[in-house]
Amino acid sequence: MADAACTAFAGKTPPRTWSRALLLTLPIVLWSLFMSMQGLMQHDRSLQIANALTAAFLIVLFFMMMKTSSTYRWRRWFFVALGVLFPIGFIHNVMVLRGSMGIPLEEMIAGRTPFCFLPIPLLILPAALTKTLVFPGSLLPGGGMSGAGMAAMAGLWLAITLVVGKGWCSYACFFGGIEEGMAALPKKAQWKKLDPRLRLVPWAVLLAMVLLSLALFEPAYCMWLCPFKAVSEYVAARNTVGMVQNGIFVVLFAALVVVLPLLTKKRTQCTFLCPFGAFQSIFNKTSVFDIKIDRTVCSPCMLCQKSCPTMSLSDESIKKGETLMSCMKCGACVDACPKGAAVWHIRGTQVAVKPERARLMFLYAAWAVAAMFGGSIITQGLATILQRVI
Amino acid sequence: MKWPTSKLGYTVAGMTVLAAVLVPFLLMGLFTKGFTKLGLHVDEMYGGGPTVRTIRADGYTVTIHREVYPHLLQTEKPFVQLDWKPVSALPQHISDAVDVDGDGQQDVRVSFDVPKDPKAPLRVDVEALNPRYQAMRNVGKGKFSELIVRVDDAILVRVPLTGQ
Repeated sequence: MADAACTAFAGKTPPRTWSRALLLTLPIVLWSLFMSMQGLMQHDRSLQIANALTAAFLIVLFFMMMKTSSTYRWRRWFFVALGVLFPIGFIHNVMVLRGSMGIPLEEMIAGRTPFCFLPIPLLILPAALTKTLVFPGSLLPGGGMSGAGMAAMAGLWLAITLVVGKGWCSYACFFGGIEEGMAALPKKAQWKKLDPRLRLVPWAVLLAMVLLSLALFEPAYCMWLCPFKAVSEYVAARNTVGMVQNGIFVVLFAALVVVLPLLTKKRTQCTFLCPFGAFQSIFNKTSVFDIKIDRTVCSPCMLCQKSCPTMSLSDESIKKGETLMSCMKCGACVDACPKGAAVWHIRGTQVAVKPERARLMFLYAAWAVAAMFGGSIITQGLATILQRVI
Repeated sequence: MKWPTSKLGYTVAGMTVLAAVLVPFLLMGLFTKGFTKLGLHVDEMYGGGPTVRTIRADGYTVTIHREVYPHLLQTEKPFVQLDWKPVSALPQHISDAVDVDGDGQQDVRVSFDVPKDPKAPLRVDVEALNPRYQAMRNVGKGKFSELIVRVDDAILVRVPLTGQ
């Protein structure tokens, strides 16, 4: 069935008819409804509405992806919603349970520090060498803000990574949406010339943070560099060091998540800082899906390079017909290419042969995990707002 | 020659789509279980180390944890954690001499007030009766290795070790 919808040669896929787009959206309709079933059966009215809205939102976006054959601009709506609604739901929970965005020492000792995916690469070496997790959380659910525990977060990360690889940064990361939203606001970039060597900074940050975490036996990135502490939670400032740490979080957030995306139209935190993103790039090598540049039709106009939010296309990589390993499969380059030279691809298959089939297979996988993981976060954020309104 | 790799590519892509569907039902649980079976534990600098023994007092207990030593360049001092619980059974003022190392000799005298308001700040004085333990005066919760905090139904005191 999908065969008919796939083009047999390179070039832009034309928009589909309503009926065909609806047919292709049907699996996601069923999946989204299934994912929201539990919430819809809750007695909490705001949660019911939030679940219904989230399911409808995800279905409409996927439908538009199918209808227009464009990926990036529709995915961006999901991703920005995820990035904006996560802090709303999270901060609300923190304030209800703890009364403050600052993590008090008691909560760390009790193992109730919420664990996100960002420190995962920092925990590997200390865990491998000493079987110790250098994070003040709990392995299993520990009540309070500990959520499902570190093991569940690690399990979820590994499962989603297996499916989308570095696509995590486009379909699952609940932090990147804020800067993607900021980058979408201006019509043109003010700063167009960015030194390509800056792409290497996240690797340097990753190396430094991994070694520091091992040496100091603490999640160094969370303690010193994470810009998203500014919109989630931070170390309660007990002394001057704590105040300096919080100052760094706010400055990095303002610079890399707000100001620089507005000036460059790039996801600057992801491109120039995020050590988790660098680490996640490794899984681009294990993913079966990637983006290729069909050199037989490429002019090259470099529009793909300009549109890439993470500078994952260099002159050399375009010449080779590839993206760099930092590509997060957002689809911006594919949408931007006027000749359809940038294409979705499945490893092992010929480039530009049935690229729409590759796109569809990737999107089904990515949207399934996005609806499951991101959908629940969007629902929580929406429910928090609705509780205030209703 | 391209045909087998192409077939393999589509097969793996199909399996990836299937894996995406299986994430909430199977994969996440499987990986979570695998992760818990690795035998990892949270750094004792946060948790305070496993319990060594418990001393019974008038209606309450004092739990003594194993000594915790910092790793590599960790900036904290080595310490031992003592828990007074349940808080509801504690008198208004605690002044207990505790045999921390279990040699029959008292090692530290720990004194603190127990406020009725669970959110009220705590301060502790520790008199070192054994040079192995460091005395503390009017300490709150500045560092992981020297503090007094209330966690759930217990008051935790961490006494730094001098290294002697």
